[in-house]
Parts: sequence; structure tokens; C-alpha cells
Amino acid sequence: MAWAKAQDFFELKERFKSLTIEENKNTTTLYIEKEKLIELLKSLKERGYKLFIDHSVIDYPDKKPRFLAFYILYNVDERKRVIVKTWTDNTLPTIENLWFAGKWAERECYDMFGIRYEGHENLVRAFMWETYQYHPLRKDFPLEGFPTEDLPSLNEVLWDDKLSGTMNYNRMHTAVPTLEDLEITEKRRLQKQAQIVLNWGPLHPGTHGTMWFLFDLEGERVFNCDIILGQLHRGVEKLAENQMYNQFLVYTDRMDYLSALCSNQAWVVAIERLLGIEDIVPEKAKYIRTMMAEIQRINSHLLWLGTYALDLGALTIFLYAFKEREKIMDIIEGITGARLTISYPRIGGVRMDLPEGALEVIKAFIDRFPRELKEWETILSRNRIWQRRNIGVGVISKEDVYYYGLTGPVARGSGVPYDLRVFEPYDAYPWVEFDIPVGENGDAYDRYLVRIEEMKQSIRIIQQCVSKLEKMKGEPFFAESPDPKKIKLSIDGIGLKVPAGEIYSSGENPRGELGFYVVSDGSTKPYRVKIRPGSMYNLSVYPHLMKDRVIADAVTILASIDPVVGEIDR
Amino acid sequence: MEGIVANLVLIAIKIVVILLITLGIGAFLTWVERKVAAHIQRRPGPMVVGWHGLLQPLADGLKLLTKEDLFPRYGNKFLYYLAIVMALVPATLTFAVVPFGPEFTVFGVTVKPILTDVNIGILLVFALGSMAVYAIALAGWASNSKYALIGSMRKAGIVVSYEVVITFAVMGPIILAGSLSTYNIVQAQIEQKLWYIWLQPMAFVVYMFAVLAEMGRVPFDVQEAEAELTTGFTVEYGGMKFGIFPLVEWYIEGLALSAIGVVLFLGGWSPLNIPFVGFVDPFFFLGPLSPFFWFAAKVTLVFLFILWLHWTLPRYRIDQITETAWKVMLPITFINLVFTAVIAPLIWR
Amino acid sequence: MIKKVFEKPISWIERIVFLDFIKGLSITIRHAFRKTITTHYPYEKITPPKRFRGFHGHKVIDGNEPQPAFDEWVGRFNIHVQPGKSRCVVCQLCKRACPVPELFQIEGEKLPNGKRVLKTFNMNLMLCTFCGLCVDACPVDCLFMSDIHETACYTRKDAILDIEILEKIGKDWQLRRENEPDRIWIDDTQRKRLWYENNLSFLEDKK
Repeated sequence: MAWAKAQDFFELKERFKSLTIEENKNTTTLYIEKEKLIELLKSLKERGYKLFIDHSVIDYPDKKPRFLAFYILYNVDERKRVIVKTWTDNTLPTIENLWFAGKWAERECYDMFGIRYEGHENLVRAFMWETYQYHPLRKDFPLEGFPTEDLPSLNEVLWDDKLSGTMNYNRMHTAVPTLEDLEITEKRRLQKQAQIVLNWGPLHPGTHGTMWFLFDLEGERVFNCDIILGQLHRGVEKLAENQMYNQFLVYTDRMDYLSALCSNQAWVVAIERLLGIEDIVPEKAKYIRTMMAEIQRINSHLLWLGTYALDLGALTIFLYAFKEREKIMDIIEGITGARLTISYPRIGGVRMDLPEGALEVIKAFIDRFPRELKEWETILSRNRIWQRRNIGVGVISKEDVYYYGLTGPVARGSGVPYDLRVFEPYDAYPWVEFDIPVGENGDAYDRYLVRIEEMKQSIRIIQQCVSKLEKMKGEPFFAESPDPKKIKLSIDGIGLKVPAGEIYSSGENPRGELGFYVVSDGSTKPYRVKIRPGSMYNLSVYPHLMKDRVIADAVTILASIDPVVGEIDR
Repeated sequence: MEGIVANLVLIAIKIVVILLITLGIGAFLTWVERKVAAHIQRRPGPMVVGWHGLLQPLADGLKLLTKEDLFPRYGNKFLYYLAIVMALVPATLTFAVVPFGPEFTVFGVTVKPILTDVNIGILLVFALGSMAVYAIALAGWASNSKYALIGSMRKAGIVVSYEVVITFAVMGPIILAGSLSTYNIVQAQIEQKLWYIWLQPMAFVVYMFAVLAEMGRVPFDVQEAEAELTTGFTVEYGGMKFGIFPLVEWYIEGLALSAIGVVLFLGGWSPLNIPFVGFVDPFFFLGPLSPFFWFAAKVTLVFLFILWLHWTLPRYRIDQITETAWKVMLPITFINLVFTAVIAPLIWR
Repeated sequence: MIKKVFEKPISWIERIVFLDFIKGLSITIRHAFRKTITTHYPYEKITPPKRFRGFHGHKVIDGNEPQPAFDEWVGRFNIHVQPGKSRCVVCQLCKRACPVPELFQIEGEKLPNGKRVLKTFNMNLMLCTFCGLCVDACPVDCLFMSDIHETACYTRKDAILDIEILEKIGKDWQLRRENEPDRIWIDDTQRKRLWYENNLSFLEDKK
């Protein structure tokens, strides 16, 4: 497992007398009091734990102090992970000087829990608007919100519909932002210093979703930049606390909707690890999941390639990529029954066995696909325009990768070989061979090459999975629990009780590390789920990259980071 | 007196014919473009309205005409409408000096299929071409939108750079022909038995790039750049007002510049050329219509080539475009000019 | 394991003769003369695969119920079995499995003879996530998801499936597709149009 051992921190114990080390099955945790926190994190950073993974807070309304804050850090060289925890009532010291990504995580915590961060440069709400009064992820905030405003539009009727039963929605809703609220939100983000402030978004073809960028422009040069998130915020973490473990699978589809299968897989693997049934999941299920996840990865990268080329004006590549993507969609639709929101893996296996003919179709696809990929590379890779638009644009150094908590192809493009499929293998990844592509300069062109190469590696993985699966006809695809009383693992998984405990488990999504920090209190529903969205931390580097660039580069850099708003906002 | 009236009638007929042809073909070219783009992208394109969607331009026009007329709240109404006129008129006027074929006689009247064979035809083309920048700048300013403003400023930058380049690029053919009249340039090519592309390949490449830039085609379509500026300076225009801009920019202006390119480099209405030897006409059976056919065919090919480029290449950034213009293309045209000056006496005979 | 990605810089020769453009142009022109791959919706439609998760339906009692599960559940809930009517045994398991349970409105009714029968089964598909958890939960293979994917409607009322519609969808399904093999797709000329260049012999073979 990828967790640090307790003995790694015995030296630190001498420096920090109050440090307690807790090592259990799934995690290694360091407890420290609030005052020493920054010092501890700093020394951990010096010891190689320099990649920022995640930070958030767990709310225990009955305890005093109320909030348990956690920081997850990763040591890339030694491949070890550690959680630092501290108790607090309402304030925490800011870590924005150690990791910029922490700034965004802190904004989120402030927004969702109302934690005040001392020394934070511009503590604004991450997702909600500035005039919003509540902190939704606190346990005392009801799931329905506070219905204070009459919004009859949901019950709008045509032709004298008789609305009754399930159709009759509540007319009262939580407050929604007005234009004034949004204006206040905007003003809090960015003070105009240059000529004009360009509102780039929230609905703009270049932003790949509903993100609101603010560019302070001098001519066409971006002087300053900030991002307002939250247009797609649905409170997935709050929903998770009110859904059973197996039901929450459905919501992972809707986070990174372009790679739903990978998100499904990451969630399912996390819960399997928490249940301790990772080993009894049948081999076939693991191979199917791996194969499908890689197909989904190609799918996701194809969409990236298409929109990236579209952003840079190569309009035809978009349709070529979508042609191949359509084939993948056909495959996924035939196997799982849905094209976008897939929900195919289940805790303990997969929903259904592969249908007849699935492997033949996949083989036919991967035989042809490398040729198509080559064609697109011929059009793009060595095109002088493509190179001029990409080379030297949006350069991310290795240090920045750690400072901004970048993962996925963005980190690999900068030469950091951080790939969870290798570092913390799950499902069938330890049994298949593939390379980790890394770039050198960390510019947009390297990220482009890395993603193209990743598609080729995915093809390799799929080939190996297919040849394995061909020999596995008729084998079980769902885990049989050895002790049926203890863990009821039926196909619907109703009332799946998960033992109390916590876990941080993550999967390598096409857009970076998708981590789930799950705290279970022993019931059928999680106590707290913190989702580590790869896209969000990848996006946090964007304002830095946009300094002194022109608007035309905004699309290049944004598309090369490839964020998905569904995952950022959750 | 009768002569003047006859002349006026002739000119009126010419104007009507040319306007009908250019505007009609301009609208029809939207269909061509959609079909070309579709097939390059493995789609069939418009298929529903008419045979293979042939009536699609009409349907589009109807749709655009019946759309709600919107006007930005703090825009300048006068400039807003003036921009449309400024876009449409100069682009259409360019066709005044495009020669469609050689002189012919109908009912005893000798007709030159060119509206006005002024002796500064080429100069007029580029003078009118520069007028387009007014349309764009006005559209961007009058819309009172930041996106429109940025788009129009980008386009203005491109037009300013490429006007210089295009003027120097066409110097070669002008020197070789010894005339600024479009009609005479074609005549000179026929007399010298030489398409100027054979002696001016660099100028032709530069001219083509400049045409792409003037038309706002990929790789120089930064003024619209869907992904960055939505549609640039037209962002606040709606309905037919919006429709006119692409119609003018992409089709009418594109057609005009393609025609001028054919006149300058591809010998106008002359058939296939073997340098210094003569012309081969596989379509001799068309008789007197053959020159018109050749002219149309060449313009079509050049235009289709532009479309083909558009649907293949990515787009440059604005600073890279102007950089290319001043640092690469302009020096090339200078070298070409010197080269032309050296070889020109050999051609003149 | 770790593979460095890079691309050779463009040489001067390539630059001067526009080799990069020519290569790209040659690919696009080749595509232009190949067959198109699109399906002209709504004039032509692809048949969804059997596993497709579309609108829900209730399979009706026609003698093909999964045994012994069906008799067992009928006995447990004391259900009045009517051939040609829904197989539902009012066990509410679908509602329990659903991530959005509010969308179900399921009510049973007691008949004079003491047996129970399904009275209302409303599904508000506006709230549905089409995840299929309810289908997995159904113990008597009653609730299922059909291949109906054109789900747009004019009023919100049309998005509610009541028991009549559900049974109609179910009967239709049992007539059309119930006996299909569990294949990735069924034969479909439209699907071949997209896949023709992949040399997929599979679709023709299994006619």
C-alpha cells in the first residue's frame, strides 16, 4: 500500500512533542494541535511530502472542538502518502504559502464549513455567492436547504395539468443568487487594475463548461486573472452523506461526466478497500473494469483532442475524433446500457457480464484505432501552426506541479511520472504492462503529446485485457462473500453496511487523480465523503499560467489542462 | 446622345447581371462550403431542403430574415447600421473591375464583360479592400461589447499588415504585364503565352496567404475565433444583419479576391498554359463560351482550395499573424520584386 | 516503464515546401472522398442495444416469469395474480434501491378475497437518473428498462409513467425484444455505416 509507516515519523516526534501517530489498515495519520500545524507541514514538505493532495474538514457537531481538519500529502519519490489531522473550532492557519492548491481547498472549506483561515490572502467563497449565509456541508444544514423563497417555476403547468403525487414539487426553495449577488461576488474576486475586465464565461464556448473567468486586460494581454466556480455546484458531497454506498455510484457518473466509468471505478475500489474485500473480487471483474476504464480513458482523451483542436481552429479534427468516439460510445452502450452516465461497476464486481460479441467489437476497434490516431498526428503534431500555438505556452515547472497539487497528464507533461495506476495499483493494473508517458518542458505541446501517447498505452492495456478475458468465458463477475452474514453483498447491495473507519483511495482519471476520502461510522451511509477533484487542483494553476499571456492563449492553456466543471464544482 | 443612352443601358445590364451573379453565387457558396466541410468531416451536410440540400441557402436566408431584430442597449445605432453598408458595398464594388472573359459581340454591340475597365483596376481593388477595415472597426465599436471590440481590433491589425503584403505581392504580375488594368493584365498573359504563376510562385503563395488573412479564413480567422471571442465583431448582430458579414467576408470578398488572383496569376480566362509555347484548350467545343468556362473553373478551384485549407489547418495567434506578415512575407515579396525587375525585360520583348 | 515523449522539430526543407500542410491536406482530401458515416436522424434510427437503459416498463405475466422466485414472492406478499397484468408484487424494493426514492409512488390494494394487488405505480422520470439500480433490485423480473430513448415530452405530466404506460411498454418489449440473445448490438445497417472501415465481420456472421 502507498501509505507511510509510523517509523518514518519517529524523528519528527522528537521535534513535535504533541505529535501522535496512528497507523491502521487503510491510512497513516499524524495528529497535531493547530498551533504547530504549519511547522509540521513545512517539515513534512522538506522531507519529500511535497505533492499536495487534498485538504478539508469533517464536521462532528457533538464534539468539542467541532471540526477535524485533514491534510493529505504525497511523497512522489518514495511513493508514500500521509494524512495530517488537527482539531479546531472555527479557525485554521492558512497553508497558501506552502501549497497554492491549499488556497483553493481553504476557500472551499470556508465556503462549505465556515472555517476562517488566518492569513489567507483573499478568503472568498469557492462555489456559493458571497452573500449566501449558510455553510451547506455542516451537519446541521438540512439536505433540502432552508426553503425560504417561493419559486413556482418548477411547478409550471401547461394545459391544466393536474399535478399530484410525485409530480407535485415543493414550491419553496433555498435562496438563489440575484444579479446583485453575482456582482458582489465578482467585485470580491478581482480588483480592476488594467484597462478592461473581460467576463470570459460562465457560458462561453471556450470554457468547456460553465466556468466564469475574469480577465483583467491590458489590450489583449492578461494582466490578472481569477476564476469563479460553482455554476455547476450540486453538493455531491452533501448528497453522499445521505446516500447509501452503492447508490452514490450514480453521482460519481455526474461528476466527471466525460469519464464516468473511471470515476465509478475509483469509487467502487475505494469502498472495496474500505470493506476489505478487494481480494475476493473476481479476477474477471477486475479485468473487465480495467478494460472498460481504459476504453473510457480513450473516449475522454478523444473529446479532449477534439475540443482542443476546435479551440485552436482545427475544426475537422473534432469530427474525426468524434467519429472514433462514437464507436467507443457504441461499445460502451452495448456493454453497459448507457453512453454517458454509465454506472457499470458495482461494489464487488460489475453489473453484468460482457455480452456476446463484445470482445470481437473491441478488438476490431483497437486494430483500427492506432491508424486513425496516426492520421490526426500527421495533421497536427508537426504542423507549424500547431507547434507555434503550443510550444512554450503555459509552461509548468516541476516545482509548480507540487506547489499547485497537479496530477494526471498535466503533472506528467511536466516530467513528474505520477501515475496512480503504477504507484498505487488497483484492479487489474498490476497485471498489465504499460508505459507512463512524461514530457520534458511542461508546455501545452508536451501535455498534448502525453495525452496522445496515453491513448496508445491504453490500447496496449486493452489488448492485454481482451486476450485475458477471452480465456475467462463463464467465470463469475461478482464477488461471493465468504461470510454472507457479515457483508451482504447482493447484486443490488441494499443495506450494504460498511465497518467504521476511514480511507483515502484514489484512481487515475483521465483528468488527474480522483480521490475519495471516506469516513464511515458503521452504517449504510458514509459519514463524510471528500472528493478530491483532479480537475479543480489542475485548474488552480491557470491564473498563474495566464499572467502576461493573450486571450488566444487562454483557450490553449485551458484546453491543455482539460478541466471538467462537473468534477470541479461537484 | 443615343450612344450615351445605349452605353448607360449596357452598364445597367452589366450591373444587374454582376450583382445577381455575385450575390446569388455568394449565397449559394454557403451551401458549397457546408458540403465541402461536411464531406471532409465524413458527414453528408445539408440534405433535407431540396435535392442534397440545394435550397438550403434560401431556407437559411428566410430564417435569418424572420428572426427578431435585436440591438445592444448602449450601442451606437448609426454606426451599427453603417458597418453593414460599409461591409457590403466595397466588397461588391470589387467586381466592377473583374474581367469575366474576352470581348464579344452580341446583336452588333461589342461588349467587354467587365463593368469598368479602368486603367487602375488593381489599385481600385486594394483601395476597396482596405475599406473593409472600416466595416469591421465600426461593427466592433458600435456593438458596445468587449468581445466585438477585441475581435475588430484584431481584424484591423491583420488587414493593415496584409494590405501592405498583398500590394507588394501583386507588384510582380503588374510589372510583367506593364499595366494596372485587370483586362490588360490578362491580355498581356495571353500575348506573352505565360501564366504569371510560373514566374511568380512566391508571390502567388504570399498572395494566397494574404487572401486568407483578408477573408478571415483559417489559419487567420482570429477575428471570429469561436472558442475565444465567440464570433468576434459580429457577436451583437442578429438575423440577416449577422448573416451579411460572413456572406460578405467569406464569400463575396473571397470570390472577388479569388477572381483577382486568377486574373493576376492564372491567366484569367485563358485555357491551360504551357509556358512560352501556347495554350491548350480541352474544352474548345464550348466555342465562344470556353473563356467564361475557364474563368469560372479557375475561380472555383481557387475558392475550393481555400475551403480545403480552412477545414484542415489550425489557427494562428494574432501576434504570430502580424509577425509572419512583417517578418516573413514582406521580405519575400521584396525579394520577389527584385527578381521580377531582373527578369521583366526578358518577358517584355 | 517511463517513456519520454517528444517530437522532432520541423526542418527547413519541410518549412519551405509546406510539407506539413501538404500532409495534412492529403489526409483531409482522402477523407472527403470516403463514405459518410452519419445516421440521418430522425429519418434513420439506430436500434439501441438490448441492454440499453431507456424508459422503464413493467413486464406482464405471460408464463415466462422467473421461477421459483416469482411464486415465492407472490406467496410472500399474497398477491392476486392476473395474467396479462404487471408482474409487480408491491415489494417496494425498487424504491429502496433508488438513489432518488421520491420518484416512485407505489401503492397496493387489498381485494375482498384478502389478496393484494398493485393499485398505483407512478414513476416521475424527471427525477430519474437511469442508473438501473431499481431494475437490479426487482426480484421478479418485472421492472425493466426498455429501448425507448426519445423521451422528450411537451408537459411535465408526460414524464410520469403510470401503470398503464408501464405495462404497455412491457408488452411491447416482450413482443419485440424479449427473446433476443444477449448480444452487444443487434444487426443494424445504420451501425454498419459507422463501423464499415473496421472490418467488423461480427455483424454479418451472426445473422
